[in-house]
Amino acid sequence: MKNLIAIVGTNSDNSTNRMLLHFIQKHFADRANIEVCEIKDLPGFNKPKDRTAPVQVQKLSDKITQADGVIISTPEYNHSVPAVLKSTLEWFSYTTQPLIDKPVMITGASYGRLGSSRSQAHLRQILDAPELKARIMPSSEFLLGLSLQAFDENGDLKDQRKIDELDAIFEDYLQFVDITNQLVNSNKAHKQRAQKFSWEDN
Amino acid sequence: MKIVGIVGSNADFSYNRLLLNFIAKKFKKLIDVEVLDIKDVPMFNQSNDQTDSDLIQHLNKKILAADGVIIATPEYNHSIPSALQSVLEWLSFRIHPLDGKPVMIVGASYDVQGSSRSQLHLRQVLDAPGVNAVVMPGNEFLLGEVHKAFDEERNLKDSETTQFLESCIKKFIRFINVVNVMDSPDGMKDLSSTEDLYATGSIDTTIEGINMSDDDWVEQAATKTNAVEGNTYVKLDRGILTVDQINQFLKSMPAELTYADSNNQFLYYNYKYEAEDMLAARRPEQVGNPLAECHPEKAFSGVAWVIQQLRSGKQDIVRTHVPTHGPDKFVVHSYQAVRDEDGNYLGINEYVRDIKPTIDWYLEQTGQQLTGGGVDAVSGATSKVDTVSGATVKDK
Ligand SMILES: Cc1cc2nc3c(=O)[nH]c(=O)nc-3n(C[C@@H](O)[C@@H](O)[C@H](O)COP(=O)(O)O)c2cc1C
Ligand SMILES: Cc1cc2nc3c(=O)[nH]c(=O)nc-3n(C[C@H](O)[C@H](O)[C@H](O)COP(=O)(O)O)c2cc1C
Repeated sequence: MKNLIAIVGTNSDNSTNRMLLHFIQKHFADRANIEVCEIKDLPGFNKPKDRTAPVQVQKLSDKITQADGVIISTPEYNHSVPAVLKSTLEWFSYTTQPLIDKPVMITGASYGRLGSSRSQAHLRQILDAPELKARIMPSSEFLLGLSLQAFDENGDLKDQRKIDELDAIFEDYLQFVDITNQLVNSNKAHKQRAQKFSWEDN
Repeated sequence: MKIVGIVGSNADFSYNRLLLNFIAKKFKKLIDVEVLDIKDVPMFNQSNDQTDSDLIQHLNKKILAADGVIIATPEYNHSIPSALQSVLEWLSFRIHPLDGKPVMIVGASYDVQGSSRSQLHLRQVLDAPGVNAVVMPGNEFLLGEVHKAFDEERNLKDSETTQFLESCIKKFIRFINVVNVMDSPDGMKDLSSTEDLYATGSIDTTIEGINMSDDDWVEQAATKTNAVEGNTYVKLDRGILTVDQINQFLKSMPAELTYADSNNQFLYYNYKYEAEDMLAARRPEQVGNPLAECHPEKAFSGVAWVIQQLRSGKQDIVRTHVPTHGPDKFVVHSYQAVRDEDGNYLGINEYVRDIKPTIDWYLEQTGQQLTGGGVDAVSGATSKVDTVSGATVKDK
């Protein structure tokens, strides 16, 4: 079974994105080992002179490096990705770069109807930046709108159609992980190139 | 105009901070910029509300009090840095100081693209309902390859870039004016924003490429345009005079004459007396200035109102009596619209006169006397009822 890391893209105590990831973990328990990880206690990014990651960042980063893939669930704040998630990705890009060539699936939950479509679009662009270079699963968006009403008391999604949608996307994702990891392994040079890239040495 | 400049980077050394400091220094005659840092603002967390902290309240108050905001954003991973994102989250959570505020975006980054992608993200963020800023469209000021852009004095090296930046700033000033007019409630209001008193635009006759505020604007402009002077003949409607003759003729006019064009730039006055001997002081080095620099800020609303009356055609002349010269004088400022044959507004002919000698002469010549509501407008006039109604000067 594949090992996946699921990142809760917020520092809020009560998060529907966290609920969504816990649901995914439980629902797909027989398809993958999913560990839900928090970013709420990471320090805010501030360019460190020595390019060294703080311990917590290093820990999360190591988990990602060892995992087959990453799921990120993002809220939407002001039509974009919350600062705390951005900050995490800044740490990654500036220090450990664990996301390079990592297969990533994006989900998102929002209180409104649109289900974080705009923040997911931003997140895709961010993950595509040269110091992150994640492999984002194409043509799949899992948008959970009206997220405050979406779960029952057991933390399960209420709407069966949403569950079916998620099933289909997750199956695609498992295949995407295989294909991507094959592709990447056959082309080590790519990884080295990406890891060398730094804006400030340009 | 009060502008707050927000440094969108929390780095100890930031090119975006340099850029804002440069804007503050270079364009201080146009705008008054206070540069604010976001370095120590804590990470936004909706479960740990710090809206009332000093740092966030400081930003809040400064933004609320400003006429506009310039945000300088770096690009981090194709987006705006989390530090800036976090500030905007605080400023849209329980407080909304950017609501309706005119905002201009600039950005400096390492890539040749110079923060183009982060500026787009920033626009979208500022447009979100919790922020609701009014972002100036177009005029992207992108400073790419920023590590090569500044000299040792921390000025931008490239003069074309500086010129483009200046044109963006001027557009921003006009944009603020437009936004303010849109927003101002009817009734009593500050009209200063109805006119571009900083002369940020240009008209056919504007002499480009010279700083309007320079003391030797006249000399620079004369060189640039090859302006004639001295005993060169000039053909006029109708007659021919040398430039010297025109000068002497205008100086002999019984008034202080001032010409400001329709772009609100002060172009000429008949320089005969030094400022301290004039009824309305003018100094030679002021010529060329935008009208905003010729008046104290508290007069802007009145100045704008007068120009609007003339520009819109509501009035052809606006007169005011300036009573600060004592009882021996009756000084009148007349603002006369200058128009072309088709009635298009070209500018203002302001003439300032003490009309008391004229009135005295008239009274003496006609043997009439002034009457008026008990208080004499012109000192020394006796209050004997005059049968000739036309000679009555009303007290103001
Ligand atoms: C500062 C701030 C800005 C927000 N902006 C948006 C927004 O632009 N669009 C949206 O759908 N929800 C917005 N929300 C509500 C979100 O918190 C909510 O939709 C979010 O995606 C829920 O994720 P969570 O339950 O995991 O915290 C905003 C909330 C905050 C605190
Ligand atoms: C985490 C991180 C990500 C960056 N990503 C980009 C980028 O996507 N595009 C870019 O042009 N520069 C990028 N840079 C380089 C910045 O342009 C550079 O650090 C710039 O100096 C930031 O502006 P500042 O000097 O005002 O802090 C990145 C820098 C950091 C630290």
